[in-house]
Amino acid sequence: MLARLLLFLLSVLVLSAARAEPGGDGSSYQLGRGLAVGDTGIRFGGYASVEAGAPSPGPWEFSVSDLSLFTTWTDHAHWRFFSETEVGEALTAGGNQGFSTRNAHFELERLYIDRLFDDLFSLRFGKFLTPVGRWNLLHASPLTWTTTRPVATYDLFSKHATGLMLHGGFPVLDRHMDYAFYADLTEDLDPYRSADPFDNALGSHWLYSLADNLELGLSYVNYQLHDDPSHRFNLVGVEGAWFYRRFELNTEWVYRNGGLQGLYQGFVQGVAPLVSHWYAIGRYEYFDQVQQPAGQLGVFGLAFRPVPPLVWKVEYRIGSHNEISAPDGLYGSFAVLF
Amino acid sequence: MCRLLLILVLASWQAFPWAGESIAVVAAAGSRLDKLSLDTVKLIFKRKSMVNAYGDRWIPVNLPPAHPLRRLFSLAVFDALPEDMEEYWNEQYFQGINPPEVLSSEEAVLRFVAATPAAIGYVRQAQADARVKILLRIPSTGDLGEPP
Repeated sequence: MLARLLLFLLSVLVLSAARAEPGGDGSSYQLGRGLAVGDTGIRFGGYASVEAGAPSPGPWEFSVSDLSLFTTWTDHAHWRFFSETEVGEALTAGGNQGFSTRNAHFELERLYIDRLFDDLFSLRFGKFLTPVGRWNLLHASPLTWTTTRPVATYDLFSKHATGLMLHGGFPVLDRHMDYAFYADLTEDLDPYRSADPFDNALGSHWLYSLADNLELGLSYVNYQLHDDPSHRFNLVGVEGAWFYRRFELNTEWVYRNGGLQGLYQGFVQGVAPLVSHWYAIGRYEYFDQVQQPAGQLGVFGLAFRPVPPLVWKVEYRIGSHNEISAPDGLYGSFAVLF
Repeated sequence: MCRLLLILVLASWQAFPWAGESIAVVAAAGSRLDKLSLDTVKLIFKRKSMVNAYGDRWIPVNLPPAHPLRRLFSLAVFDALPEDMEEYWNEQYFQGINPPEVLSSEEAVLRFVAATPAAIGYVRQAQADARVKILLRIPSTGDLGEPP
């Protein structure tokens, strides 16, 4: 029954998405903008994604992978609230099972409040995405070009942190620099622990806009993982993003030491426009692994993005020493920001 | 490409009775601010700058995406048309930040800005009256960003 209800809701969503008009930014509902509740400062929105994969070896799999709800509130002065709650794997199916909701689970992805003092200083308290690289901060399926996620964007650090963050921006040489210092104080603040959470962490992220279409970033975080309390790690990351017309080039690399060995991981991804709303995507990944030789991957994909909040993707992934972390196979998805 | 679009928009601009007029970035007449740079206006309308020098939250307002003045403003400030900014605003939305609210006309912008402290908008320079203070003039041709 729940599965049918979810499928019905998803169908309504897809039909609504097909009818919605992009490009505006008024106060009435628009796809990719959420729904404002009058003048209360409250806005609801979210995103949904459906994924299918045929890894090799292994049975095919299908899932309504994300149903996320955003709630934002601002007093139009100095306070801002944001939450993202998610039902993960709301509906799954595969070669070994029929449609089922038994894997469905609730996740609290983000929950924080910001106090804005000025452009230089804002203080955030709550659960937020760990600012390591660009992908983790913008990981929602409607915003990415591939169904699969680069190993380097999640393998060596926790994707979330819970605690305090001081963040802001300031001009440097006529361009803009964004920064963040954050501390993950205790896992006790987060009743819905995400996978592989920090036990505690101290980190910083810097992002410099060299031009309107070129960004370079640097990350550092010192941390202990909840599931590996015997080690304390240091992770350094660099990132770059370049945009020209509808071409894109992104890269992220991280190095972690403090465990049994130092580990490098990273990727380079290029996006090129084809005809109309079609895009070609290519990605190379490298990732050191603790108990296996270093893995390498190539991802070759196509994406159809008729309007920015809505995307269809299909890709083939192939590599070496990648059976556990990121198996070869054909993957596809549909995602919409609503 | 964007330069070409700017030329095309400017060419179509000639068809309007206000051809050749500058764009005036305006705040309330009683605003404590006297001028803004083009870079600051860019940050405000991209919601990268949230608070002004006096600690008040900026309230930027836009004209509708199809409005000729909005399109010229967007090209002059961001070097991109409003529809080219959609991906940027989707990314910001994912981080809880929404684009400036939209008002339907220049008169609506003038009324809102005049009545709302820390609001900022833009109109044709000839439309800017005693209700508002011009913080930046953006010439429709020539150098951009010259303060008043």
